[in-house]
Amino acid sequence: MQLTWKDIPVVPNQTEFTDVILNRTQRKTPTVIRPGFKVQRIRQFYMRKVRFTGDGFVEKLQEIVDSFPRINDLHPFHRDLLDTLYEKNHYKISLASLSRAKTLIEGVSRDYVRLLKFGQSLFQCKQLKRAALGRMATIIKRLKDPLQYLEQVRQHLGRLPSIDPNTRTLLICGYPNVGKSSFLKSITKADVDVQPYAFTTKALYVGHFDYKYLRFQAIDTPGILDRPTEEMNNIEMQSIYAVAHLRSCVMYFMDLSEQCGFSIEDQVKLFHSIKPLFANKTVMVVINKVDLKRVSDLNPEQQDLLKTVSEQNNVEIHELSCATEENVMQIRNIACEKLLTARIEQKMKSTARVAKLMNRINVSRPKPRDDVVRAPYIIDDADKPFEGPLSKEIEAEQGGAGVYQPDYHEAYLLEDEEWKNDIVPELLNGKNVYDFIDPEIGAKLAALEAEEEALIEQGFYNSEEDEEMETSDVEDIRAKADWIRKRHKVMMSESRLKRTMARHAVMPRKHTRRTADKLEQHFDDIGLDAKQISARIQRAQSENKDRAGRGADAVLGAQGNQIIESGRIPSLDADLAEHLNLTKSGREKALRLKKIQQRQWTNDGRRNESDRRIESSKPKHLNTGKRGIGKADHR
Amino acid sequence: MPQNEYIEEHIKKYGRRLDYEERTRKREAREGHRIAKNAQKLTGFRAKMFAKKRYAEKAEMRKKIKQHEQSKVKGSGEPAPSSEALPAYLLDRQQPNSAKALSTSIKQKRLEKADKFSVPLPKVRGISEDEMFKALKSGKRENKSWKRMITKPTFVGEGFTRRPVKMERIIRPSALRQKKANVTHPELGVTVNLPILSVKKNPQSPMYTQLGVLTRGTIIEVNVSELGLVTAGGKVVWGKYAQITNEPDRDGTVNAVLLV
Repeated sequence: MQLTWKDIPVVPNQTEFTDVILNRTQRKTPTVIRPGFKVQRIRQFYMRKVRFTGDGFVEKLQEIVDSFPRINDLHPFHRDLLDTLYEKNHYKISLASLSRAKTLIEGVSRDYVRLLKFGQSLFQCKQLKRAALGRMATIIKRLKDPLQYLEQVRQHLGRLPSIDPNTRTLLICGYPNVGKSSFLKSITKADVDVQPYAFTTKALYVGHFDYKYLRFQAIDTPGILDRPTEEMNNIEMQSIYAVAHLRSCVMYFMDLSEQCGFSIEDQVKLFHSIKPLFANKTVMVVINKVDLKRVSDLNPEQQDLLKTVSEQNNVEIHELSCATEENVMQIRNIACEKLLTARIEQKMKSTARVAKLMNRINVSRPKPRDDVVRAPYIIDDADKPFEGPLSKEIEAEQGGAGVYQPDYHEAYLLEDEEWKNDIVPELLNGKNVYDFIDPEIGAKLAALEAEEEALIEQGFYNSEEDEEMETSDVEDIRAKADWIRKRHKVMMSESRLKRTMARHAVMPRKHTRRTADKLEQHFDDIGLDAKQISARIQRAQSENKDRAGRGADAVLGAQGNQIIESGRIPSLDADLAEHLNLTKSGREKALRLKKIQQRQWTNDGRRNESDRRIESSKPKHLNTGKRGIGKADHR
Repeated sequence: MPQNEYIEEHIKKYGRRLDYEERTRKREAREGHRIAKNAQKLTGFRAKMFAKKRYAEKAEMRKKIKQHEQSKVKGSGEPAPSSEALPAYLLDRQQPNSAKALSTSIKQKRLEKADKFSVPLPKVRGISEDEMFKALKSGKRENKSWKRMITKPTFVGEGFTRRPVKMERIIRPSALRQKKANVTHPELGVTVNLPILSVKKNPQSPMYTQLGVLTRGTIIEVNVSELGLVTAGGKVVWGKYAQITNEPDRDGTVNAVLLV
């Protein structure tokens, strides 16, 4: 539950509010529009402005409304406190007027956007926008008072102390000027103003202290006068609500010296009149300023009067003096103790809490299947507590980490406990470890290996002949399987290629290099006899040789068969030079010549063959004019 | 943790910082310079806003000064009536005021008679059909344009149903229909949002009257039962005429003056 409201954003006043939003509209929406634009665009421009402004107002108003606490959802103590401080109805009406303004602005925004849809000119649209923003600003202008009020509430709300109504609380109450604040000051660090006049404290003050490692809060309340609650002012009502709503130990302060300006009778009367508020609370009466007057100093009549207070259900009377610090801490401790016991009692009383836990627990009790007793096995010394120091402690004792070296021998598991710390001797029975090493071990191993090799050579390990036959069969099968696997892979990759090749240009078959060897290989693969065809190829080749021997073909052929085979017109580059088997100097010369030839072109930045270009993307003569029968390719 | 009025508390305990007085004095002294600088330096919209605010402040100041000066002048207003009895021949001297009032009232009445047929806005701007209507295209091929849409706010009576869409020649868009008008009672000086009953006359053309177009200068009938006006006979007045004083298509609202 929220106990403080420090983070409520600042509530702007009406002029700031409109300035912020309209400024934002100006900054965040387009600003340039001309009468020549399409009317659609003009309308859009102004609709955006109206919508944007409306949204801005709505968003901001919603933020303010949401940030304030909803008074009905609070703890009764806070609810009543806020009611006395800020007047609940006023608070609610202010927030309601804000949210009403929100709906009104939404309506204006909607209406004017609708009207803008029918705008005919830039001027008309502009006037409509102006009217819309003006009406929104007017709605905000009317919120002057609520905004001002809420800003004040925000400032005050942020400064309220955070009082937790459910925690351990000591509540200090009593007549004005009886020393309540000075008591709070002496038991906590709270910085409370202490002055020798009534109503120094005009609001609730909270201080915190620890007792038995528990956090307590002590609340100092403004003084209460003995009068009916209807006549009480806001300051007194705060203390009344604190007494009524907080689960606490109430410490009723009294001043027997009557320095506070109120008689003992009055103070006792007040106690009796606010007694109904003490139901279900621990109460104690504290007599302050005992350095001036003690209970024992009173006359019998007054003592009787005081007794009427203590006669009530175990209200104890204690004496202390804040001025001399007498008894202050003792009484604080007594109060805390009382409060703790009361709280524990209350907790025990509330069965709901136990029931809540119990219905979550399920204890299963399985039925025994036979009469055999299956007692749990427990090690004998399981219930023995660990004795002796921990190794951590030993470490600390012996100089701490880095200095202390733990004894690992302790953990050895040996037949005899006593052996643990024995030292392994260097010599045992007159022998050392070195005595067991054989110096000729290397030579022995070499002899063994030689013998093994000789046996292999003799065929000592070879199997008999019929077995040999079988192995050759197996090998054959293996070879075939290998071939099949390989072939399978090739086919797979080929079919894969085929799929990808469908997307690419295919090298025509006549341009691929085919050789006689490959052909024969292929025939072998598909299981045909290649003898005939290879004979034909040989015959053809011998004829070809004869032909190549004649005329210019012989020269070209000598230069490189590749050109003919590829069938491309060569362009001079490094790859080609290599292709043509040019010498290094020849290649350099060719390159130089090429550069010289191309120099003019490159200098001019002229188009050349290496440019990728599209001559004309839309040839006009092909795309204009009527098409008689719908054909454009014969133009 | 600081709580409640901790700032005031602190000031009470430790006082303000030592140069507080001087700082506030200087800040106040600078104020005039700041205003002067703004008055000279600001340009554009900011300058306009500044000038407006400054003008209002100055006007307020002048008024206050005038009031102070007036309070200083002694013996303003009528001289106290003397305790002595006036002679008979002087008794008449006091009367001219009442005579004048009488004559002005007669004049007023005459004027009112002439005013019976006058309206607050005697002249209006002419509105062309181009401005009033927007031609809509219709037909299967969108090649017919006999449909018209009214681009001004209109009043359509309660229970109005459109003609079949195909036949409808003039469309009054529902977004532009107005049901209420902000009517000012010129004598009482109050403005109330009243429901419109009908359009009595549109000065532009009788056709617009029939169509219920609301433009500046149009006479409308409004339901004044909220105002609680009573006739001479003691009956509650229900409908009354009012004239539109603004351009509804520019403001999005209808403002009117009651004709009394």
